[in-house]
Amino acid sequence: MYQAFVGLEIHVQLLTKSKVFCGCRAAFGDEPNTNVCPVCMGYPGVLPTLNRQAIVQAYLVARALDCELSESAVFERKNYFYPDLPKNYQISQLGSPVGRNGRVDLDLGGSRRRVPIREVHLEEDAGKMIHAGDVSLLDYNRAGTPLLEIVTEPVLERGEEAELFLQYFRRMVRYLGVCDGNMEEGSLRCDANVSVNRPGKGLGSKVEIKNMNSSRFVKKALAFEIARQSGLLDRGAPVAQETRLWNENRDLTEAMRSKEEADDYRYFPEPDLPPFKPDAAFLLDVEKGLVELPSARRERLVAEYGLGPDQVDFIIDEKSRADFFERTVALGADPLAAASWLGSDVKRLLNREGVELAESPLTPERLAGLLVLLASGRIHGKIAKQVLEVLFAEGKDPETIIRERAWEQLIDAGAIAKLVDEAIDANEKAAAQIRAGDEKPVGFLVGEIMKATSGRAEPQLVRSVLKERLAKSR
Amino acid sequence: MNHSARWSNVLLSPDRTESYLDYARGWEKRIGSFLELSPPVPASPPRGDLAGIPFAVKDNIAVEGFNLTCGSKMLAGLKSPYTATAVRRLQEAGALVVGKTNLDEFGMGSSTDTSALARTSNPWDTSLVAGGSSGGSAAAVAAGIVPFALGSDTGGSIRQPAAFCGIYGLKPTYGAVSRYGLVAYASSLEGIGVVAESVGFARRVFEVIRGIDPLDHSSVEYLPSGQTPPRPRLGVVRGLAGLSGEIERAYRRAADLARGLGMEVSEVDLKTFDYVVPAYYTIATAEASANLARFNGIRYGLRPEGTENPEQLVKGARNRGFGDEVKLRILLGTYVLRSGFQDRYYVRAQKIRTAIRNDLQALFGAVDLLLLPVFPTAAFKHGEAGLTPFQQKLADRFTVTANLAGIPALSFPMGSEAGAPLGLQLLAPAFEEERLFRAAESFAEAVPLEHPPGYSEEWRS
Repeated sequence: MYQAFVGLEIHVQLLTKSKVFCGCRAAFGDEPNTNVCPVCMGYPGVLPTLNRQAIVQAYLVARALDCELSESAVFERKNYFYPDLPKNYQISQLGSPVGRNGRVDLDLGGSRRRVPIREVHLEEDAGKMIHAGDVSLLDYNRAGTPLLEIVTEPVLERGEEAELFLQYFRRMVRYLGVCDGNMEEGSLRCDANVSVNRPGKGLGSKVEIKNMNSSRFVKKALAFEIARQSGLLDRGAPVAQETRLWNENRDLTEAMRSKEEADDYRYFPEPDLPPFKPDAAFLLDVEKGLVELPSARRERLVAEYGLGPDQVDFIIDEKSRADFFERTVALGADPLAAASWLGSDVKRLLNREGVELAESPLTPERLAGLLVLLASGRIHGKIAKQVLEVLFAEGKDPETIIRERAWEQLIDAGAIAKLVDEAIDANEKAAAQIRAGDEKPVGFLVGEIMKATSGRAEPQLVRSVLKERLAKSR
Repeated sequence: MNHSARWSNVLLSPDRTESYLDYARGWEKRIGSFLELSPPVPASPPRGDLAGIPFAVKDNIAVEGFNLTCGSKMLAGLKSPYTATAVRRLQEAGALVVGKTNLDEFGMGSSTDTSALARTSNPWDTSLVAGGSSGGSAAAVAAGIVPFALGSDTGGSIRQPAAFCGIYGLKPTYGAVSRYGLVAYASSLEGIGVVAESVGFARRVFEVIRGIDPLDHSSVEYLPSGQTPPRPRLGVVRGLAGLSGEIERAYRRAADLARGLGMEVSEVDLKTFDYVVPAYYTIATAEASANLARFNGIRYGLRPEGTENPEQLVKGARNRGFGDEVKLRILLGTYVLRSGFQDRYYVRAQKIRTAIRNDLQALFGAVDLLLLPVFPTAAFKHGEAGLTPFQQKLADRFTVTANLAGIPALSFPMGSEAGAPLGLQLLAPAFEEERLFRAAESFAEAVPLEHPPGYSEEWRS
């Protein structure tokens, strides 16, 4: 048996309005080379100016990861030549990053694993180069957009743990509103370092894995890589220190470059940017951005509302969903009912319509209205589902819908009695059977009444009135 | 300022612009100080403190509508898409950019002879260099084509050509003037400054261009002490070796003169003096190796034809675009930053830099001003008869101290000998430029400004 050590390097594209060192829009789906200026194009003579929103978000993530926040965050130049890097150096951080020595307490389904965070640092992204036939094309829209790099200590042991960590992390940055967390589109990117060794022997040769653009691929790539390295050790073969790429089509990692070819980045302090020293006003802004994080919210929702494990996981997965849930409950809905509806019927309709909860016609007010109607017996379950359908189709309040369609449940005893009498008259044989003590046809008669009212009659009431009537006349 | 009245009218009408160009072109045939000379035709009379006054800008400082070549084949023909903050402030004060001046390629040199685009000569004697790297700016001012010009000073690049051409050259406190728009050579050492025909112009221009700039995070609020000692204590350095006869005489004469002018002169030691050149070249080239990395022929600048892939394109552009001196400094800088060697070179140089700052801070407890030569010799000859690139680097020992310490220094004329002007410099603590101006004004009363043969003011009247 071997022990695996996995560390993650996560890159987060921050959701800032402008780029990290100039005023250009930080949007890179646009027409190539439209969100550029002399600064992010690396023209001669220009200088970087630090975007406050970016540095606030960087400290916010560091804070959320329980890091020691730097009192003097130093930017450095990382020197390497690549056509998509306009200055041929990247402004990054090395010696004194924004945050250090943080931690995440990861819930591994029962057990807990503390994942120490080595550092959080802010840097600029590069542009994009594509090769089309015999030309190379460059788009610098992404050049200079803010990127946050988070490095964990190598304490994860399996692909599943890395996947859980990533899911936790993704949820966290989405809660903080600093990243949309989209791994497929690359706004959240993850590289891993893996080393395998005999237990107690410390770290083995370090292999870096890149190109894993979903948390599932991270799990699969790590599982493959751990098995590959274990196999090498079994055969007594050395594990080469190298960088490997995950090939999602072939489900394996492939060697990209060996350590000997690794670059010397010749880091040195960026003379154009003095060290960033957060003052009290800045730290206050950071604290203001620090929302209740998913793990804390999970615990609170369980304690406050008694949600089950699956329910609570679903509710807290998105901050907007958890906010929606709590707002619905605050408006008078039963918490368990709200959670259950959100996790079943609402989810089904959202999937069918292909919309997000926030963009759908459903609001906490409408869901609470629906659930209160249901709880008070003014409509029953089947009608409630229909109301939800209409609500999605027409965007109206539940009250309006049941009024317009006369869907309110019949709970008036007089009206029900009249219906019961009509049913008895129309079904003499069944009525006689019941009167004779045979309860079997009760269900049939109730069904007839429900049919006659398109399901609006309150079934329990119908049943009891029916029994009462037939008993009386006996 | 008595001369401004005459300068402020020189471009006010097409006729006057014609006479202006006649005078300028007459000089340019001999000295080649401009890479681009194109005086504007103001649509309406300029307004402001420097209304209508023409000035020149070193061609490593951005002015929209003008080239930004840095004296390099790499950037020949590049039009600047924006304007440097210092230039914009002068334009807002009504001053008019007439052109861009020659320089050593990317500011790397002491003669302007490393320019790949033009040859600039000293207005006093065209067999002599104008100094560098702001040689074009200094020559243009000395010839009387403009009353002042912007230059940049990384290790003496304003003060040395000013001394070689017999004019004033101010290297301001680091951070006092925005570097936005100055093409970076060694970011932590350099700044934009001014060469001028008089202390008055140097002061007025400095007052306009200084001050914090949101586009330059290394710029600072200008906060001088406001105290200018009436009888300043002047430090002269003991035992300076390797000076040419004329510079040594000028230095002694200035010290004597200072006593006569009521200054308190005392001899001081510069303990860190022997270390300044190695420290300077280590830091400057390290920063240059990164600063010049952006020139790769992809987004602008020289692009070789027929390359097969981006890597070939970049290599070709840099191989053909840069001159030898630039390549040398990039290689040196890359070397001192290599991993495993940083402690030996770059980090050690930074420690020396701190020691130099401390040395000067202690010194400025005992004196208000420091008097130093600018260069060990007067202007030297072009080519092989002059100084080798290595000798030129060693000769930077008097100027780089101010850059390493981030303090202001002003070079001022001290007469001439054998047809070549002589210059010395004064150093002051950070933000005490006014002390420099006052002292230089005192010297100016005793040593009248000399002009090169062919200099004329008549066309202006």
